[in-house]
Amino acid sequence: MARRTPILLACTAVAALALTGCGSSSDDSAGGGSSAKKVTLTFWGTYGNGGNSAQTDALEKTVIPAFEKANPGITIKYVDMPYDSLLQKLTTGAAAGQLPDLVRADIGWVPKFGALKVFAPLDQEMSGFQKLADDTYPGSLATNRFGDHYYGLPLDTNTRVMISNPDALKKAGIAQPPATFSDLKADAPKLAAHKISVYADSGLQGWNVYPWIWSAGGSVTNPDQTKATGYLNSPQSVAGVQMLVNLYKQGAIPNLIIGNKGAVQTSDGLPKATYATILDGPWMADIWKGQYADFKPVYSPVPAGPGGSVSVVGGEDIAMTTASKDHAAAEKFIAFTQTADYQIAMAKTGQMSVVKSLDPQESAAVPAFAPFIKQLATAKPRPSVPQAPAIDTALQDELTKAFEGKESVQDALDKAAAAIDPLLTQAD
Amino acid sequence: MSVMERARTRTTEEKNSAGRERPPRPRSRAGATPYLFLAPGFALFLLLIAYPMVKAFQMSLYDWNIVAGATSRYIGLDNYRRAFHDPLFWRGLQNSGLYMALTVPPQIVLGLGVAILLNNKAPGRAVYRVLFYLPVVTSWVVVSLLFQYLFADSGLVNWVLHDVTHVTGHDTSWLSGRWTGMVAISALGIWKGVGWSMMIFLAALQSVSKDLLEAAALDGAGRWSTFRVVTLQAIRPALLFVIVMLVIGGFNVFVSVLLMTGGGPSDSTQVLLTYMYKQAFTNLDFGYGASIAVMLTVGVFVLSIIQLRAFRSDEELA
Repeated sequence: MARRTPILLACTAVAALALTGCGSSSDDSAGGGSSAKKVTLTFWGTYGNGGNSAQTDALEKTVIPAFEKANPGITIKYVDMPYDSLLQKLTTGAAAGQLPDLVRADIGWVPKFGALKVFAPLDQEMSGFQKLADDTYPGSLATNRFGDHYYGLPLDTNTRVMISNPDALKKAGIAQPPATFSDLKADAPKLAAHKISVYADSGLQGWNVYPWIWSAGGSVTNPDQTKATGYLNSPQSVAGVQMLVNLYKQGAIPNLIIGNKGAVQTSDGLPKATYATILDGPWMADIWKGQYADFKPVYSPVPAGPGGSVSVVGGEDIAMTTASKDHAAAEKFIAFTQTADYQIAMAKTGQMSVVKSLDPQESAAVPAFAPFIKQLATAKPRPSVPQAPAIDTALQDELTKAFEGKESVQDALDKAAAAIDPLLTQAD
Repeated sequence: MSVMERARTRTTEEKNSAGRERPPRPRSRAGATPYLFLAPGFALFLLLIAYPMVKAFQMSLYDWNIVAGATSRYIGLDNYRRAFHDPLFWRGLQNSGLYMALTVPPQIVLGLGVAILLNNKAPGRAVYRVLFYLPVVTSWVVVSLLFQYLFADSGLVNWVLHDVTHVTGHDTSWLSGRWTGMVAISALGIWKGVGWSMMIFLAALQSVSKDLLEAAALDGAGRWSTFRVVTLQAIRPALLFVIVMLVIGGFNVFVSVLLMTGGGPSDSTQVLLTYMYKQAFTNLDFGYGASIAVMLTVGVFVLSIIQLRAFRSDEELA
């Protein structure tokens, strides 16, 4: 008896181990199996990025409950994650077969996941797709296209405008936010005398630098999006970046731009008058409302250069994964995102509507969008290709060297363009 | 520590009996029992350690395509060749080595010092032990973010060094340069690690023979001589253990770098593991990432063997 006990114990342990090792993982999207069909759809997104509780609250307390009430039996489980992590999680999730049903994806990512067959072609799968698509802005809709199909629908749009701190400008005796490149260059030393940076940004990817390149009269690729050499490294493009590098070397732009994690973030630096101006989107108002109630930001167009005042189009699309177990339910939610219940509720938190027919309603609900709507009229999209994330990495890597003074701007953009050329034509 | 000592006596016994034939071990009558006891642990080891290691080695020989259903191309040792010509791989290796050099000696000296202080009977000894050990059990993520705040451009460290004591003439942008960044990351490593080496040394110090200490005192040995001749000799095995573990730990630095500097700006503070992570999960180049992981594993393994050998040989000389 006594001799047997260890054997028994060990057997039990091994058995327990085997069971836990091979146990089935809980499946969120499995049907309840009862008579009334119950579905839980998992929805991944980045609404809370940067600690923005206004957006996640609107989604989880207003929008999703409204949908669930109208569609009994369908539960939406929203999972929020940081912006960069979502791209990673989607990629690794695709490999591991652990994907959500619905994704709010950056407009730059949809072609990539369409090419990888992670997102389903909505134009083939979804009844009523065309009608919904026709009611969105063509520029936003185009970001969902890869090859001959559409792998998502527009969800929200945005652009960057200049946001300035009037108190910081006033300290240096400046009455108006810089409206042109020359203003920006002239304001820099005046503000530096008060230890204020004229402009701050937190990276050197397309989202950060294209507005300066386009406003300088430069370009990123040819119109077909098949070549960057000759465009990204044209004299005008170089001039746009060179202006930023010169300001950086004068100390008028903080090293946050090259990725110093110890620098003051733009969302804190602007209200604290450490930075005089930034470029950012319509969601910032809500972030400041909580933390810096007294801050009164001023919105103005991106400073104009030889090419005018040209900003970058941002936004997100809604996509359904091919792995989703219940396409019918997922399509219901996608259709719901195109209604006023979704678009206007999220507009109030800084996510601009993509549905044309809702324009008057949106302008009435959120008058603060006026400067963004004006900027969007001339704003341009980033290259819409599967390798978009890799393009951003190449650009950031080379431009950082230019800012650190290890390379000339011309060399950096030459190398970046050479690295980006093959990425533009790479399918997946 | 007694285990280690026993192990040592056993090796000397084996050395002494070398040349003589050892009696055959009696066949255990227990049959399968010991193996059954080993089974759970061994199964875990196979599942969670051996299998991923083999898989990583396999990945490192391919241009590994992560997407389900895609084919991966066998490229032999190309990933290893690529690392050899990749300046960023070498920089990662240098930075990992630098981190090790900056963190291991202070952790040993401070850990031993604190252990000696806490080994004396003093009021509040238990409280201090807990306080020193607390950083060890706190989450890496939390303390990394905390140190990021401390070393921020307008953080506490700059406030103390510049605004209060005027040690520096201006605010230092700690996390934006390679050397200052590595100093900040190492400061966290030391602060978090001292408690661990302190605990090990404390346990070792309690096994120092009182008789020998008394004998040394009677012989008129001073404090320093007593420490050198008696205490240090007694805690040698613990010292070896701590050094080997800290070197392994130093090369495996990851979370603090990822969160405090992200390996940036422009890859200046990249260590081997953050570079591996960047290649695998940002660039999705899993084959190349795996080859870096394999090289790190082999490197650390060889280094540990060398250390164990070196220590043993000078013990024999002694």
